[in-house]
Amino acid sequence: MTGWSRMRSWVSSTLGRSSMESEMDAELRFHVEACVDDLMKQGLSREEALRRARLEFGGMERAKEECREARGVSFLDTFTQDLRYGARTLRKSPGFTIVAVLTLALGIGANTAIFSLVDGILLRPLPYAKPEQLVSVTGTYPKGAFVAMRKQMHTMDVAAYSEDHEFNLTGYGEAVRLPGALVSAELLSMLGAQAELGRTFYPGEDLAGQDGYVVLSHALWQQRFGADPSIIGRAIELEGVSRQVIGVMPADFRFPSAKTQLWLPLHNDPRNTVAYWAGDFMPVIGRLRAQSKMGQARAEIRIFQGEVSKMFPWPMPANWNADVSVVPLRSGMVADVKGRLAMLLGAVALVLLIACANVANLTLSRAATREKEIAIRSALGAVRRRIVTQLLTESVLLASLGGLLGLLFAKGGLWLLKSTLPANMPRLMDVHLDWRVLMFTGVLAILTGFFFGLAPALQSSRVAPAESLKSGGRGAAISVSQRLRSTLVVAEVAFAVMLVLAAGLLIRSFWAISHSNPGFKSVQVVTARITPNESFCNDTARCLAFYRDVLSRVEASPGINGAALVNTLPLGGRVSKRSMDVENHVAAPGEVAPLFWLDVVSPNYFHLMGISLLAGREFDHTDEGANPVAIVTAATARRYWPSESAVGKHMRLNGDKDWRTIVGVIADVRAFDLQKNTPDWIEGTAYVPYTATATLEDRRTPAEMTIAVRTSLDELQVGQTLQRVVSGLNQEVPVSEVRSMQAVVSEAVSTPASTTSLFAVFAGLALVLGLIGIYGVLAFLVSKRTREIGIRVALGARQQDVLWLVLKEGAKFSLTGIALGVAGAAVVARLLSSELYGVSPLDALTYFSVTAVMLVVTLIACYIPTRRAMRVDPLTALRQD
Amino acid sequence: MEKQLDLLQGTLDMLILKAVSLGPLHGYGVLLRIQQVSKDRLEIQQGSLYPALYRLEHQGWIASEWGESENNRKAKFYRLTAAGKRRLLTEAEKWNRMAEVIAGILGAKREEV
Repeated sequence: MTGWSRMRSWVSSTLGRSSMESEMDAELRFHVEACVDDLMKQGLSREEALRRARLEFGGMERAKEECREARGVSFLDTFTQDLRYGARTLRKSPGFTIVAVLTLALGIGANTAIFSLVDGILLRPLPYAKPEQLVSVTGTYPKGAFVAMRKQMHTMDVAAYSEDHEFNLTGYGEAVRLPGALVSAELLSMLGAQAELGRTFYPGEDLAGQDGYVVLSHALWQQRFGADPSIIGRAIELEGVSRQVIGVMPADFRFPSAKTQLWLPLHNDPRNTVAYWAGDFMPVIGRLRAQSKMGQARAEIRIFQGEVSKMFPWPMPANWNADVSVVPLRSGMVADVKGRLAMLLGAVALVLLIACANVANLTLSRAATREKEIAIRSALGAVRRRIVTQLLTESVLLASLGGLLGLLFAKGGLWLLKSTLPANMPRLMDVHLDWRVLMFTGVLAILTGFFFGLAPALQSSRVAPAESLKSGGRGAAISVSQRLRSTLVVAEVAFAVMLVLAAGLLIRSFWAISHSNPGFKSVQVVTARITPNESFCNDTARCLAFYRDVLSRVEASPGINGAALVNTLPLGGRVSKRSMDVENHVAAPGEVAPLFWLDVVSPNYFHLMGISLLAGREFDHTDEGANPVAIVTAATARRYWPSESAVGKHMRLNGDKDWRTIVGVIADVRAFDLQKNTPDWIEGTAYVPYTATATLEDRRTPAEMTIAVRTSLDELQVGQTLQRVVSGLNQEVPVSEVRSMQAVVSEAVSTPASTTSLFAVFAGLALVLGLIGIYGVLAFLVSKRTREIGIRVALGARQQDVLWLVLKEGAKFSLTGIALGVAGAAVVARLLSSELYGVSPLDALTYFSVTAVMLVVTLIACYIPTRRAMRVDPLTALRQD
Repeated sequence: MEKQLDLLQGTLDMLILKAVSLGPLHGYGVLLRIQQVSKDRLEIQQGSLYPALYRLEHQGWIASEWGESENNRKAKFYRLTAAGKRRLLTEAEKWNRMAEVIAGILGAKREEV
């Protein structure tokens, strides 16, 4: 025997399958006819000869099947045969098919949508050249420390960037505020990014005096400069500073975030000690050099960390960046969302499991009615493996249909997801359905088919043909499969309970967040950012006068009931830090002054925002004079003066000569987010009036302010008023981010809101599927036991006995499922704890109410089959077959 | 006529190879020849004949082509290939040795043990 002849035989029989088939028929027909001829020669009649010949030959179909197998085509052959047969049976029971396909499509669709998120955000390589070499240094460094790092590192090239900068672009239409990033000269080229037009920065172009350049994003170039290629080499006015445009980045380049419109070089100026060593602590990324390993880079950065602390012109705390390391850039970028995505993936996986259990149950119910068909096939010579293969093919076909429909669902779902998820989610722009997702869906569908199809297929192929044919297909295998069905439905209920519990906890937590007292009143307050160029405010008096004029003109405008200024709006997404000296707590030499959250405000700010005064007084216009003052929050007062009143005590902006007198204590304000007043590394919150002596960490008076107006007008009208007032005073000052305070608050909860609503959707899905599961099993049970129930009724069973008979079954599923689900949730809920606020993962109220709700709904699902059982008429039931 | 013997497991392939080694035959002819040579003492399941033929062809020991039967019907004729000839030789050799050994065992007398 040669492999070649086998191959040839297989190929020719696969390709010429139909001719092979007809040849086989001809050959066998010849055999029978030759046999008949011989028998007739012995004197038999033709009919008798034919009968004898067929009898002697034995099972013709079985012989053919064995021939096909011998030839080695059976796989492809039987597969297409099974496929055709499966398609036919599915078409014949449209009800089953539709329910099963829809169920699977929901499960697969939800998984596909979430997977495409996970893939786009976590799995897909970053869209930069050789992304596997890119790393991120955990920890942030000021310019001076970064420059030292750039000089010293041998294992990798490093680049720093500073996010969340904004620049006024003037001279091209209305003044506009643009988000941009400051980058070290090598950052863009290190990422492997080529300019679409012009060039990126050359080394050395981030030094003070050599940094008068800017690179534009594709979108900005199109929108503001009409895609004019001659923009390269021209100067544009950013923050009142003229910069030469040297390049335009391609449309698909995004770094550090999708909203970045401008890249400016860092301004490294060692002579400005404060800015150079304290100004801006920047993230650092790197590219491993050839032959360098991550581990070596890690070791090197630790050594460097030990040295860099001593380079600072002042002592640094020992724990500063003490745990610095080097991680792959991708994991550094998405570390925050990883947990949330994993949670969502877990939730949809549960939904798919429930869908699988549901369809498995449906298939089992159908298998019970198909028992006769299967018995006949096995009596005709189909071996068990063959029947299992056929049933599995049918399941996979079903799952594939579900997968196709699921893709449609996923497309819609993804669109919804992208609009629900907070826009600042990293790499959200990279998410789309592509061949990777298609592959995932394909594999998932096939696995799903096997998963829900295997148990029923094995189960129903175990039929003993004689048994089943005798009993008229009334089910000898029912009792066996009943156990499987019960297990499946209990699992379904348990999974559904887990999801509903998770959703319940998240909803409780979300409720707690959105009902927590932010410390201010957001009703009828509209806010906007007013951002003169930084250079405009170098002349502090001019800056203050400008804002004074803005306030008085806005307040005089129709429909405005008051206006106030603040440098960082609560929940506005910005942090305002300032090192402070507190009386009797002054840092010893060698220690670092505590970092405060410093709000610089106009006198009526507290009143306008509805922030309540707890002690002392608010600011008034006299505070702009010689006696500097401050106001602290309740938490800060408690921290520094736990047993006495803070009013009358003193504090000082670090670096100032004059102490400020604390004149008031106000209620705590949720400034950072709705869970925390301030980030953990902030030690207190202070308010100072907006005067020339109010300086931030860079020792400058804040130039960018947010105006808050109390009004019954909407954002649009307020925006117009503000625009008119501001441009009337200074054409070059843009007004941006006009939002109602309520919008600011709801944006602050957009992350928990999206997680919660997604979980609620998945839980709802799981609940519905679980209920269909219970209903299906009970209905099936009742239909199989109609006869038995009939006999019971005939023997005198009362309605409530029948009720109890059926309900008992249903209650068994629901109680076991709920108990298992609650136990499972109690174990898994710990994973949720990072997403929970103000509610424990084992919150008794949630567990109790979810249990109660599940009990009620599962009993409702039992109701219809139970009622049908109660209406069984003994006469009809007994007359059945 | 004495009672027919059931075919020993695995011997059908060898018998088919032997039958077609004497000249090309169609399936029915193979059946007839085996019965004729065995003087009807072997019972051959007709249903298992064709799978065996297909298997042997798949393995390259016999080859087939369509031709005319003795009463002018179209029939598929099988003939032995070179590989089949070698196979038949080794199979026959093996069988003979086996038969000898088994006959020896069955014919053993007390004093020989």
